[in-house]
Amino acid sequence: MTEVFAVLVLLLLLNIVVGLARVLRGPSAADRMLASEMFSTSAVAILLLLAFILDSPPLLDVALVLALLAALAVVTFVGRAWSDLQSRQSESARGMESRESD
Amino acid sequence: MGWLVLVFDGLLAAALIWLAWQATHTPGLFRSVISFIIFGLLMALAWVRLDAPDIALAEAAIGAGATGALLLSALGRLVATHEEGAPWQERRDLYFWIPAGGALLGLLTLAAWMLPSPGLGEQVQDALPESGVQNPVTAVLLNFRALDTLLEIGVLLLAAIAIWSLGRMPLPSAPAVRSPALPALGRLLFPMFVLVSAYLLWRGSHAPGGAFPAGAVMGAGGILTILAGAQPWLTGSVHGPWRMLLSLGFAAMLALALGVMALGQPFFAYPPGLAGLIVLALELAAGLSIAMSLVALYLAGQPPDHWEGEARGE
Repeated sequence: MTEVFAVLVLLLLLNIVVGLARVLRGPSAADRMLASEMFSTSAVAILLLLAFILDSPPLLDVALVLALLAALAVVTFVGRAWSDLQSRQSESARGMESRESD
Repeated sequence: MGWLVLVFDGLLAAALIWLAWQATHTPGLFRSVISFIIFGLLMALAWVRLDAPDIALAEAAIGAGATGALLLSALGRLVATHEEGAPWQERRDLYFWIPAGGALLGLLTLAAWMLPSPGLGEQVQDALPESGVQNPVTAVLLNFRALDTLLEIGVLLLAAIAIWSLGRMPLPSAPAVRSPALPALGRLLFPMFVLVSAYLLWRGSHAPGGAFPAGAVMGAGGILTILAGAQPWLTGSVHGPWRMLLSLGFAAMLALALGVMALGQPFFAYPPGLAGLIVLALELAAGLSIAMSLVALYLAGQPPDHWEGEARGE
């Protein structure tokens, strides 16, 4: 069973590495934030599997903290960063339109 | 099994280096911040692989959680600037940074090579029964090297004072969409933050945990309630005592260290038999201070003395 878990851990890490392409390409801030949330979930799963493979209960606590704090980043993003980023983007888009019409 | 571990470590190391590069060299601050948050996440996994669950816990709580919220909020407040052009994009800069980075790496390798080989681990294990706790990391942090922890908490306090002295807290920009989900989430999750924080503090005496992760989780909970629209009642004559929590950890540790000196003992030498109780009390004080400091840092300025709709207390 440990072997299966080890392969799963590797697959989950591969998942993160492949997902980094979404951080690189975007295109929008929300895509990048969602990719980061997906990595948090994968990291929690990796830690839970590692806790069983290595028989190390403290890793369960690390997973617990990660799972709890993943919510904070996304709430900050929605509450603080996203609205401002969006209005800035729409402003710059409007600025471009007005320049084109001149 | 062996090759699996090798591939895992290789992938993790490659992703970490790539994310570090992205965080410093990518055009666009948002991408840098996201790369930094993911870097913290993978760094926690790296600490797990290095068999250091204590540091993994701290990294998960501070690196991936609280720092991410701080950076994202700061980004939201930044005035739109020219985001193009990372600072070191010019090729000639690389002629400086590659040799400089190489030299630093070489020196660090040399320093790591020259470390005395079994280290202090055995001495800590030998003295562990006298420390009052079973977790060697907590024993070092709050007993054997309590002076370092005192200074670290002092740095946090100084940072909070410096940020508050910069000016008034900027009024939070309202979210674009007023959603009832945010206050509901805050109400639902905050008790969980308190519970996990208390659990980590309690765990600290016999397993990875302790004041730093517990304080960071509690501070993150406070940041969540502020994001959900709560008012940070830290100043003013009505809510004044809350502000005192900022200095509680520093004051308690210093008072204890000086108190045992007055009894004729060396600085920070706990009376035998009471060490366990003292460590627990100091952890509680330090944890509360760390949590409050994180919230104070997040406010980016001194909160007002009076909030709207609040009776003016004299």
